[in-house]
Amino acid sequence: MSIHEMTAFEIRKGIVKRQFSARDVVTAFFDRIYEKEPLVDGFLTLCREEALTKAEQIDRKIQRGEQLGKLGGIPIAVKDNICTDGIRTTCASRMLHDFIPPYDATVVKRLKEADAVIIGKTNMDEFAMGSSTENSAFKNTKNPWDREIVPGGSSGGSAAVVSAGMAALALGSDTGGSIRQPAAFCGVVGLKPTYGLVSRFGLIAFGSSLDQIGPLAKNIKDSALALEAIQGKDKYDSTSVRHSITKDYMSTIESSVKGMKIGVPVEFFDSGLDEEIAFSIKGCIKKLKEIGAFVEDISLPITEEGLSAYYIISSAEASSNLGRFDGLRYGYRTKDYSSLDQLVERSRSEGFGEEVKRRIMLGTFALSSGYYDAYYSTAQKLRARIKEQFIKVFENYDILLSPVSPVLPFKIGEKVANPLEMYLSDIYTVNINLAGLPAISMPCGISNTGLPIGLQIIGPHFGEEKLFKAAYALEQELKPTAMHPML
Amino acid sequence: MKISVEDVRYIAKLAKLSISFEQAQKMVKEFEGILTHFESIGRLDLGDAQPEPLERDSGTVLREDETSVFEDKKKLFLNTKSISDSYIEVPKIIE
Repeated sequence: MSIHEMTAFEIRKGIVKRQFSARDVVTAFFDRIYEKEPLVDGFLTLCREEALTKAEQIDRKIQRGEQLGKLGGIPIAVKDNICTDGIRTTCASRMLHDFIPPYDATVVKRLKEADAVIIGKTNMDEFAMGSSTENSAFKNTKNPWDREIVPGGSSGGSAAVVSAGMAALALGSDTGGSIRQPAAFCGVVGLKPTYGLVSRFGLIAFGSSLDQIGPLAKNIKDSALALEAIQGKDKYDSTSVRHSITKDYMSTIESSVKGMKIGVPVEFFDSGLDEEIAFSIKGCIKKLKEIGAFVEDISLPITEEGLSAYYIISSAEASSNLGRFDGLRYGYRTKDYSSLDQLVERSRSEGFGEEVKRRIMLGTFALSSGYYDAYYSTAQKLRARIKEQFIKVFENYDILLSPVSPVLPFKIGEKVANPLEMYLSDIYTVNINLAGLPAISMPCGISNTGLPIGLQIIGPHFGEEKLFKAAYALEQELKPTAMHPML
Repeated sequence: MKISVEDVRYIAKLAKLSISFEQAQKMVKEFEGILTHFESIGRLDLGDAQPEPLERDSGTVLREDETSVFEDKKKLFLNTKSISDSYIEVPKIIE
């Protein structure tokens, strides 16, 4: 097996056992990148020199007989909205095309402390707003399974590079499904952790009450390993939590799901769901029953309205968060202005892309005088109701099963002209962010057209351990790791 | 929900964005569709539901201010457009 085909676990093990060096790993991955990146366009920046320097440090550690970190020598790609000290961080926006952060995000610091090797920054929808990575100001990432198809979004670059074997792991961010949906479209595992489990310090904010950083991986164990490395309280993020954290997911991940109570929300299977996706998920339900889980239908009645609440709240928060980009201190500045107002307006109008402007304006509208109560205030009440509804369901069930996306991965350009249609494709993921719950997206089948299908497992707050346990058990039954794109 | 080109241009002004008449016309159609969808939340009976603040750790969410020396000053100035001596130059902002 080539090094680029190995899982993160196998790579670390190989380095520890001195079957190959960390330098061999970095070289193998860059060989793969030089061969396949022109076909996929998943990266915005590559960090070969930094990666080789880090690899040499790791090899010296091994030679000295020192203990290797949890992610020792594993090549990892980082979404380009997560700050990396000295490495360009653009948010795939013209606004930040030359921005070089003077510090690392807490998650990046933790990756480095765990001896991971950062190999590059990945493409995304501009400021993480989108579901196809077509809103990047720089390039369109292609789905490694079919290059005419989108990789999903907004963490489309992260999902595509893991799927194409150009990184063993990647980090993404998920505000309304931006890790889970691209993971489903590219046939990899994507985890959106509980809100507060992973620090957001250094993540360029989109919707601060919804954003959460999480890993994209080749399989469930790699996903759990990455979460162990990045999770935990951070004094620089006041919403990160100290309590309720499971430190070690590995000791329980292989335990049986016998007796586990699983709910399937019937509203998620209403008309509008692709038949092949429904068929694949029903297959998973059957498998879980066979291995001893107790599965039954439940009702979550306000799923559809949650989509509206999500777009109102996330756009409102975006309009506020993106107010800082004014062309004065850093970021894009227009060349042509004669007053302060003109400088700010023109810098923003030229620096932001169409979708970002659309969201800022929707958010400004929802917060404006006369509309605040009807939109923003009502959306916040609905958010509270959705959260209550989930908490109640989790009194009786360990986890919930659902689709990730109502549609199969779609063609590049297919939904660009209709923003509402693009928004509707997030219907099964946004409620999880509104409620702050954890959810994992894992491959569960292949469509007749040869594209991956994803399954979403939703857990109670800080119930990642249950997610990993169920997902791992199912993975053993489905063997989806045998599926990989023919690039 | 019906909105006009003037409404869209007013919102753009609040958002500190400048858009052309043609762009505004295109946005009217898009916004009408999106806002009509958003209205679905108004049809729900949310009764006495109260928006709740985000859950946090017990105790204050504020931390003590701590000063620290940022060793690499060059790095701090990397993203500035212009520097004069040790000051960052910004466009004239007081008119």
